[in-house]
Amino acid sequence: MPFIKEILNYESLSIVGLEKNVGKTECLNYILYRLPLEKIKVAVTSIGIDGENKDQVTSTKKPEIFLREGMYFSTAESHYKERRLVSELVEITNERSSLGRIVTAKVSVGGKALISGPSSGVSLRRWVAGMEKFGIDLTIIDGAISRLSSASPAISKAMILSTGAAFSSNIQTLVQKTKFVVEMIGLPKLVDSTRDALCDIESGVWGVDNDDNIIDFGLTSALAISSLKVDITKGMRIIYTVGALTDKLLKLVSDSKNIRNVTLVVKDFTKIFVSETAYRVFCNRGGKIMVLQKSKLIAVCVNPTAPNGYVLDSDILCRKLEEALKLPVYDIVKNNYDI
Amino acid sequence: MTFKSALEIDCGIRYMFESLEIISPCGRKMLLGSEMMTAKREVDYYYSKLNEIYYKDCSRIANKLMCLKDIQTTLTRLDEGAVLDDIELFEVKYLAIVSQEVLKLLEELRIKAVRLPDVGEVVKILDPDGLNIPSFYVYDSYCDELRVIRKQMRALQGEGEALSEEQRMELAALLQRNADLELEVRMKLSAQLRGFAADLQLVLRNLSFLDILIAKAGQAKKMGLCFPAVVEDGETFYNGMFNPAVRDVVLQQGREYMPVDISFEREPVTIIGANMGGKSVVLKSLALNQLLVQFGFGVAAHDCCVNLVDEVALCIGDEQSIVKGVSSFAGEILAIDGVIRKIKGGQRLLALVDEPARTTNPVEGTALVEGLLEVIGEVNGGFVLTTHYNIKNNTVKRYRVKGLRGGVMDYTLEVTQCGDVPHEAIAIAQSLGIDPQWIEYTKRNLNN
Repeated sequence: MPFIKEILNYESLSIVGLEKNVGKTECLNYILYRLPLEKIKVAVTSIGIDGENKDQVTSTKKPEIFLREGMYFSTAESHYKERRLVSELVEITNERSSLGRIVTAKVSVGGKALISGPSSGVSLRRWVAGMEKFGIDLTIIDGAISRLSSASPAISKAMILSTGAAFSSNIQTLVQKTKFVVEMIGLPKLVDSTRDALCDIESGVWGVDNDDNIIDFGLTSALAISSLKVDITKGMRIIYTVGALTDKLLKLVSDSKNIRNVTLVVKDFTKIFVSETAYRVFCNRGGKIMVLQKSKLIAVCVNPTAPNGYVLDSDILCRKLEEALKLPVYDIVKNNYDI
Repeated sequence: MTFKSALEIDCGIRYMFESLEIISPCGRKMLLGSEMMTAKREVDYYYSKLNEIYYKDCSRIANKLMCLKDIQTTLTRLDEGAVLDDIELFEVKYLAIVSQEVLKLLEELRIKAVRLPDVGEVVKILDPDGLNIPSFYVYDSYCDELRVIRKQMRALQGEGEALSEEQRMELAALLQRNADLELEVRMKLSAQLRGFAADLQLVLRNLSFLDILIAKAGQAKKMGLCFPAVVEDGETFYNGMFNPAVRDVVLQQGREYMPVDISFEREPVTIIGANMGGKSVVLKSLALNQLLVQFGFGVAAHDCCVNLVDEVALCIGDEQSIVKGVSSFAGEILAIDGVIRKIKGGQRLLALVDEPARTTNPVEGTALVEGLLEVIGEVNGGFVLTTHYNIKNNTVKRYRVKGLRGGVMDYTLEVTQCGDVPHEAIAIAQSLGIDPQWIEYTKRNLNN
């Protein structure tokens, strides 16, 4: 499987699932099993709990995370005490989760462990930065259900997306929904003279007019858009929302006469919360969305089995997804890569 | 009074706390819980330590203290004979390593202000392989069987390949044995370390204390603070007293800050002067500096001698409380009454009262202030009030803010004999750019 080699080009990777039980943990184990530890030092953590042997919500059997000798991992102290491996504690970090302080250890005899790392984006970012002192070459973050935030390029440079029958049990819908997410991940990066200035803005909705002036619309976020009395797109070539991009803001730009001349800009794809329909209308009218930061989507992994027992045909699913996404798609369980 | 409760006094002490660069959480906790010093011997001893740190370059020690964690709970458990887990043993080892490193620096810099017990033995116990790195696990070298078991586990487990049922059972048994052996080792280690619990607690306390001293010395250098002379039942004087919070705001606005000189002993002091002349700032600075002295900080003055007290009472006239159902007048009068009771009860008190009875009519107000000064008589500590009333009492020491000189406010204080208050209110109101008609009518009324 080629994507292990590709991962090595990045210093941070996040694995995110579009739903629970889409095979994210298998995917993580697959990667951990194959990383050449003799060449690189690896650290693993997760946003929220991971590696539990039973699913906390649907009670289906879940694979545990296997950590190999030499790997570093960070988890909450209560989970550290339950580990089934031998490891050397190297740090008690200043991060906390609801399960206690987050500790970092180095595996000395491989085995299984529950991993529950920092739970906010900010603390994850600190965690990634903190791993530097141990000489870590690659940090891997296991994302929690439908929390794409850990895949933000501000935290990790590359990502792997898991999808599957649990997300939708109709192949066509599944392909369509996944394609939309992949499309958002693939939105082009803004190349503009005002990009650096926009990157420094911390909140609100802003505009760039035709003379490159950066204008504050005085909104705390895109959620406050309904309080606007004026057409903010008038005379603008860029509308930038620092926080979430919502249907309301998208519609506002969709409905304006200026739609063809204005580009909607967001920080990264994790800030986009628009429905596919609204997005298609926006695109059909000539609208464009761009991002300030982009992460690299390395591969898409699928799990054709849903927790309710529904099984899709793996080969058809992979082929259809590949056709639609123009990306390599893997069914790790079916192909039984001996994990 | 603890430092934490002193922070409630609105005199700029919180600003001092916030700009204090204490590194460790336990240092912060120790400072907040510290009691106000009230004996000269105690205060002198404290400043002798602070003075020693002030003249040493402690930056390398400060670097080490960044690693200091509050592990009081772990140490208490150790002392009580509990079996520590891996995380706790790591904490103990970490503390011991930090302490040994700081100890070495203290010796190198010849600092005697803080003494650390030698806990090298603790490091040795928790570092059987002599690696001297801050990490911990139940090392193979603690127990021969552990080494064997782990070797078997490693062989069986490989890199995580799928296991047969039989292999899984075997692995589970090995894991169990490993856990049992680890527990045995941890029990042995905990018993060995228990004898060092008291030393380790002292280490944690003294490292926290060192952190506080380094932060205070750094603040004194940065803000240009002085170390005070202290007396019991004597004169308090400040040369070049200032209030760092106010000074920093004034300087930021590009204006000049004027330090003031003031002294008093047992006699009450009145300060008169124009509005906006900095009278309230003087009171706040006196309260602030008294607290700084008695909590062992650098003091905001060029030099000073301070009479120690048991309590600082600052009444700045915002005692109005809708909740308690008292008006601003009642609130103020009751607060001042509390001060009188304490003084009559023989407490050493620094009482600072801003414009007492200002919210009532000037005739009765003047009488109330005169009566107050009379009933106070003499006080061990200090009694300073500001007022706009003409006070006739002869037993008080009077200061006056120099006030407007050629349109510029001179905030410095001068001793004066007469009690007549300056008449500068209209000029100052005018300088604020208010409605000219109002000024005109006011002046006309005054002349009539």
